[in-house]
Amino acid sequence: MSAFLTNVFAGLALGSTYALVALGFVVIYKSTGVINFAQGGLLALGAYLGYTFANNLALAFGVAILLACLAAAVVGASVERLVLRRMVGQPPFAVIMITIGLLFVLEPLITAIWGFDSLPIRNPWNIQTIEVGGLVLGVRDLWTIGLTAAVVVAFFLFFRYTAFGLAMRATAFDPEAALAQGISARRVYAVSWAIAAALATLAGITLAAGPAGLSPSISFIAFAAFPAMILGGLDSPAGAVLGGLVIGLAEALTRGYQDELFSWAGSNVSVIVPYLLMILILLIRPYGLLGTKDVRRV
Amino acid sequence: MKTNKSIRLAAAALGLMLAVSACGGAGQDDDAGGGKEGAPGNTAGFDGKTIKLGVLTPLSGPVAVIGKPLTSGNEVWFEALNAKGGIGGKYKVELVEEDSQYKTDVTVQKYNKVKSDVVAFAQVLGTPSTLAVLPQLRTDKILAAPASLDAFWVREENLLPVGGPYQVQAINAVDYYLTDGGGSKDDVICTMIQDDVYGEAGQQGIDFAAEKYGFSVANTQKFKQGTENYAGQIGALAGAKCQMVFLVATPSDAAKIWGTAAQARYAPQWFGQSPSYTGALAQSAIAPYMQQSVLIVAEGTEWGDESVPGMKQMVSDQGKYAAEEKPDYYFAFGYNQARAMTAVLEKAVENGDLSRDGVLKAATEIGTVSFDGLTGDYKYGPAEERNPPRASTIFKVDPAKPFGLAKVKYLLESDAAKEFEFKKADL
Amino acid sequence: MAAKPHRNLVRSYAQDLRLFGSPTKRAGLAATLIVLLLLPTVVQDDFWLSVLIYSGITAIGAIGLNLLTGYSGQISLGHAFFIGAGAYCAARVGGDLGLPLPLWLLASAAVGAVLGGLIGPFALRLRGHYLAIVTLGLIFVGEHLWRNLTSLTGGNNGTSVLAQPRIGPLDLGALEIAGENYSRNQGWFWLVWALVALVALLAKNLARTRPGRALCAVRDHDQAAEVIGVRAGRYKIGAFMVSSAIASMAGALFGAYQQHVSPDDWTLLLSIQYIAIIIVGGLGTIFGSILGAVFVGALPALIDEYSSVIPGVATDAGGEGFISVFALNQAIFGLLIVLFLVFEPRGLAGIWFRVRAYFKAWPFSY
Repeated sequence: MSAFLTNVFAGLALGSTYALVALGFVVIYKSTGVINFAQGGLLALGAYLGYTFANNLALAFGVAILLACLAAAVVGASVERLVLRRMVGQPPFAVIMITIGLLFVLEPLITAIWGFDSLPIRNPWNIQTIEVGGLVLGVRDLWTIGLTAAVVVAFFLFFRYTAFGLAMRATAFDPEAALAQGISARRVYAVSWAIAAALATLAGITLAAGPAGLSPSISFIAFAAFPAMILGGLDSPAGAVLGGLVIGLAEALTRGYQDELFSWAGSNVSVIVPYLLMILILLIRPYGLLGTKDVRRV
Repeated sequence: MKTNKSIRLAAAALGLMLAVSACGGAGQDDDAGGGKEGAPGNTAGFDGKTIKLGVLTPLSGPVAVIGKPLTSGNEVWFEALNAKGGIGGKYKVELVEEDSQYKTDVTVQKYNKVKSDVVAFAQVLGTPSTLAVLPQLRTDKILAAPASLDAFWVREENLLPVGGPYQVQAINAVDYYLTDGGGSKDDVICTMIQDDVYGEAGQQGIDFAAEKYGFSVANTQKFKQGTENYAGQIGALAGAKCQMVFLVATPSDAAKIWGTAAQARYAPQWFGQSPSYTGALAQSAIAPYMQQSVLIVAEGTEWGDESVPGMKQMVSDQGKYAAEEKPDYYFAFGYNQARAMTAVLEKAVENGDLSRDGVLKAATEIGTVSFDGLTGDYKYGPAEERNPPRASTIFKVDPAKPFGLAKVKYLLESDAAKEFEFKKADL
Repeated sequence: MAAKPHRNLVRSYAQDLRLFGSPTKRAGLAATLIVLLLLPTVVQDDFWLSVLIYSGITAIGAIGLNLLTGYSGQISLGHAFFIGAGAYCAARVGGDLGLPLPLWLLASAAVGAVLGGLIGPFALRLRGHYLAIVTLGLIFVGEHLWRNLTSLTGGNNGTSVLAQPRIGPLDLGALEIAGENYSRNQGWFWLVWALVALVALLAKNLARTRPGRALCAVRDHDQAAEVIGVRAGRYKIGAFMVSSAIASMAGALFGAYQQHVSPDDWTLLLSIQYIAIIIVGGLGTIFGSILGAVFVGALPALIDEYSSVIPGVATDAGGEGFISVFALNQAIFGLLIVLFLVFEPRGLAGIWFRVRAYFKAWPFSY
């Protein structure tokens, strides 16, 4: 039983990371209609900036996270302004490819500055654990879940109760009507990219603060978050969080039991469980669990 | 009118084809080479003064952390050799280095680029890359030294392997555990391996040991390289109550795995295959855990151990020719490779034949090569008769040492390891 | 006083559709054929020949992807899966069974078509971004299959592909014509580029006739196409099948040339490279696929050759410089994608067409 609960806990921690990344995807998609393949690159960039703030500048860990999120937000907004702005009106395919191109530029930039080696971020969690009712829980995992929950709540509060949050929702719903109301679409787009970059940074730093350490391959976690985003529905923030948790749980539970129960499916099947789950759900609900159906008129 | 035109066009095309066939065939006709005793004749890669050797290694990209120090090891050996006059005291060696980026198609392209400029290949890094060029090595009859410890290479006549293969390391690790390591064959012994060729090599060794020593592997966890979360696998190992776990991984994954185990407060006796370690781990947050629970099985001795003559010489050469290199056992591996290739070249020069066939022939004639204790002696000869070293060294983690490793048992050669048979791979 | 009609005037639909209608086009075709025939005899260097061979194989795959994405508008990130399938098919049919070239090539195409037919129905249910991500999932599922179906694919070790390029008595890997011995790379160059020409011709033919128009209609607006009688579902699945068949053929050639393939060869990066190639070359054009493949294929080799001249690039182990050749390649690749999409969405082919249109309309080229 305790093994099961440990796996569940691991799944929640993993799912929280996926949820943060997926939320970032959804924010951008909802306001600009773009799937940002470069989210993984932003995650890695943010995490490395966090490393610089925490290790090289020896700032307190919390301060380092905040500064890294801010810095990444600036990067995200500038990317939007410099590159994506010109792609307004282009077919979605072209925009996807531009974000892929950005990913390809971000990666070598990161490795040129920080190298390929695994870097340890100076953080207060490391591999500490606490015991709760016979279960050994990692401090980092607890903080990841906690921070994610806090961020998600703040996110929803922002969108529901602040003026700018309302402006962003209006722009996502109908850009022209929002413009008519005096809402600056340009500012909304830039802010949505900034938010997404900040979310990715938080995900990256919490991920790297654990036993893993920081290496360039951290950006690949974004690919694992795609199923989470699709599962929940591309334009649903609640769906992103739900999708992230579901995928994280599914992956961790499969990983814990794969050699016992799933060895017929080949070894290491937990890696593709997110994708299989995504394909399955899409067959039943082509717009994800909470996504809105695309009404098309001829 | 149209038909005339097309007939004229067709005739022109035909004429052109005939003209083409009259010129420019680049097929293998014959191979220039000496063949008699005395100074070897000029041939591909040898101009009478300098012998050129190819190196196909990742000099950039994530695997460069292995490729660069390894290549540096090659370079330092040859620089030291050249300072003494070179091969046979007469011919200096020059390395032609190409960046394979650890990609198979780039490796094949670079191979094609340099193959006619070199006598042999001093280094081809990566099992997939080596497998990709192997068919062409066979057709072109070129010798190459693979920079990995796969058992496949032992019976390939076009490859010049060095060191005890991974299977041997695994068997020796088990032997150590059952004798000096405080374990017994009734313990729960498990493995955690990377899901690829490299992982399977280690598993093969453990399975062989299981047969010989009379235990069975209780649990095997596989993982994909680059996974972020190992809680499930660690949980499964802990759930199976594994007391000894043999890990086959690369440094970044090993760090995550051991970190997850530390966090889960699960501390079996870990044995890590040599490539799972790198110096940075001894300075990381998991160093205390590693000092307590991890032993590394590799070769040679700890860096700077002057009691081993080869190590003394290597450290001195490194200080002279590559002072900025940090202590690294990949450097030592490259150094060893270069020594083996030197033995082959010396023999070829002795025979007076540095052509492709001459080099291959020399490789079967060099007998046993000693590495002055840096790795076990390798009995070369025709591929079917080769006997790789069966000895490994067990290290423990000690942050105070140059590379973070202190030797626990030097050149352990278990009987089981001696019995392992190497067969030609059915690729 | 009967004036000849202007050379650009087209007076019938059939004439408009002709592949090599004008004298310049015919001359261009002849020149290309001559260059392809003579090139290996002039450029005997194995390295450049192998670069061009890989480019040619990539061109075939790119033509397939362009049919799917450029002409039919179906975004697919799963191209690498079909290429891998083709390579393994060649290994088993050509290598194990020892069948000649036409048979293993066609067998690979058939396998690709069947797999494409299985994936095609997803395109009916999903569209746009959702389809792109599902095809992304296909790569990972495919990788899992390649690693675990050991008897078929050799598992993690990979498998050697001993399919020989034999057509009857003629072995293109060891050609001997009129007493001249041709090297393996020379023979393979001719084989690959002859196939490029063949596939390009077939694809172009598909594009300019009824199915091609139907695909474009489906791409532009599938509901409207259905209204006017174009069976969108059938064409979408058909596009997947044809594109996958061509991709598998490219994979078979790749495997047979390299002689060893492993699951590490069929990654997401490969799919992305193909998409980049068709963007750089020009979406929706066959000529563009070939241009893009040669450009993207030769670029790393060129960067490598001249890396010593580019400032700030680190060559060799421990060399000076800020960025390594590998990273430079990746960065340039990414920049290319971004620059082409922003400034030249029609790609290299678009540039070519613009130049050609300028000269065609001369002296009224304004």
